[in-house]
Amino acid sequence: SVQARKEDKPQKAMEVNGLTPVPHSYDYDLIVIGGGSGGLAAAKEAAKYEKKVMVLDFVVPTPLGGSWGLGGTCVNVGCIPKKLMHQAALLGQALQDSRKFGWQFTEEVKHNWMTMTESVQNYIGSLNWGYRVALRDNKVTYENAYGEFVGPHTIKATNKKGVEKLYTAERFLIATGERPRYLGIPGDKEYCISSDDLFSLPYCPGKTLVVGASYVALECAGFLAGLGLDVTVMVRSILLRGFDQDMANKIGEYMKEHGVNFIREFVPIKVEQVEEGTPGRLKVTAKSTTGNQIIEEEYNTVLLAIGRDPCTRKIGLDKVGVNINEKTGKIPVNDEEQTNVPYIYAVGDILQDKLELTPVAIQAGRLLVRRLYAGATRKCDYVNVPTTVFTPLEYGACGYSEETAVEKFGEENIEVYHSHFWPLEWTVPSRDNNKCYAKIICNIPDNERVIGFHVLGPNAGEVTQGFAAAMKCGMTKEQLDSTVGIHPVCAEV
Amino acid sequence: MGWEETEVRGYPEFVRTAQRYHGRPIFALFCGDKDAEGRSWCPDCVTAEPVVRKELHNLPDESVFIYCLVGDRAYWKDPNNEFRRNLKLTGVPTLLKYGTPQKLVEEECFKAELVRMLFTED
Repeated sequence: SVQARKEDKPQKAMEVNGLTPVPHSYDYDLIVIGGGSGGLAAAKEAAKYEKKVMVLDFVVPTPLGGSWGLGGTCVNVGCIPKKLMHQAALLGQALQDSRKFGWQFTEEVKHNWMTMTESVQNYIGSLNWGYRVALRDNKVTYENAYGEFVGPHTIKATNKKGVEKLYTAERFLIATGERPRYLGIPGDKEYCISSDDLFSLPYCPGKTLVVGASYVALECAGFLAGLGLDVTVMVRSILLRGFDQDMANKIGEYMKEHGVNFIREFVPIKVEQVEEGTPGRLKVTAKSTTGNQIIEEEYNTVLLAIGRDPCTRKIGLDKVGVNINEKTGKIPVNDEEQTNVPYIYAVGDILQDKLELTPVAIQAGRLLVRRLYAGATRKCDYVNVPTTVFTPLEYGACGYSEETAVEKFGEENIEVYHSHFWPLEWTVPSRDNNKCYAKIICNIPDNERVIGFHVLGPNAGEVTQGFAAAMKCGMTKEQLDSTVGIHPVCAEV
Repeated sequence: MGWEETEVRGYPEFVRTAQRYHGRPIFALFCGDKDAEGRSWCPDCVTAEPVVRKELHNLPDESVFIYCLVGDRAYWKDPNNEFRRNLKLTGVPTLLKYGTPQKLVEEECFKAELVRMLFTED
């Protein structure tokens, strides 16, 4: 539900000193807690309007001791390393395809995990540094310290040496993001890794069990298998909950046919160490969700990707009265990203009922700051946000899934147009001719407006971006039909 | 122990010197060659050098500052020169912390704040 906008008085709080009220001046105009996609975008924008801004960023080490630099999840342990490793896997496939196109090489092609990881981490390091230069250049104060509220308008920042400092600000922006969830079973924190550890793992993970069916689970399983590793995915129920299930199943089928094992309707109940090492050997015991069957299997690495939890429980929100959803930890905000406390705002993955995507956080952060300091009125538009899942067969989507469209508009008002296609580049190397797929969902009573776009195929992200812009303009089926295709590309379908 | 400075010319000498100081924090400033009057062909290097020198007192103890003349203008313009190829330098002046992705390029070197940050922060 949308909360009414609360009065956020921009005057300074008054402190009564004897007879005359004395204006209380804050250390900063804005303190941003969390230096990720949303936080940094907002901080840099605020600096443009000459506001005095501080960013507090701190990475609580993973259970296995891992940490990273400024930039948040996307840069360090999310989108960026994920896409690079996905690319590494695609290149492996391309090398195989290349023989059919005439390239001759006699050696067998092998993959070196350390070479890839060092290159990826080096690039991430340059991004961390780039952010620090950008902040310093824009006169934004950055501290590598853990921020928590201790009272109205006041925050305590604790650095890794334990030194505490207090700061006050007129307004605050919470952008603390999320961290991977653990199973809560014996051996999970001691022996399992998460996406937080995977992208900087100092040894090849070897035979890997991925627990989960989220896009994180499938993307990681996908590129690990693409690099030649023995990968199994253990799924409790369905794949890609919240996504179009027709597409989710096609993704799963493709992965299965291309070397990823799936164990469906099982959950791990115990992880034990058989042998130490880099990697070691782990024994996983799992129980069926539909019966009493127990299975056991050994893996070198167990990667947990069962969900992410917001970092909102230990930042002192109770001290300033910010409401959170007790069950999920998410923060409800109104359509201007304002919490129930007028001078405290929030952006990014921690928001309730909003999309967990980097570009959304960046957009929301920037627009919020422009509304606060530049008199702008534009709010973040969360409708028709395109996304892409970088599984081995990429999936791009914008708008409604088939299920949600039927639910919202009624089956009789929805028309679905679909098509399989065979990318020209796949023909020569004899790759699958019936796996790539595209569908659009149209709202018949509304001029057959395109309300859902889904494509499964190479470069899905690149393809989807343009269609997302068209949907934002209200493209109808007729307009789409009358657009001449580019040939020969996948997008012409 | 404080910090120390050494001057080198050309890529091979730079590499030898960096290897010699392996284990200590190494900072390097790459500039275009200077003529007989001590002026560099690279105008940005002329601007940057005094800014960098003014911040040298902030260098951490035990560190080494390598002042490296890369070569003449023709050598630098060659897209395949060893500094571009091996050290991935994209311009002069470049000020970097050797062995890390931390560096400042061209106009970034004019800003004392950024130079100080490179020298003093992790």
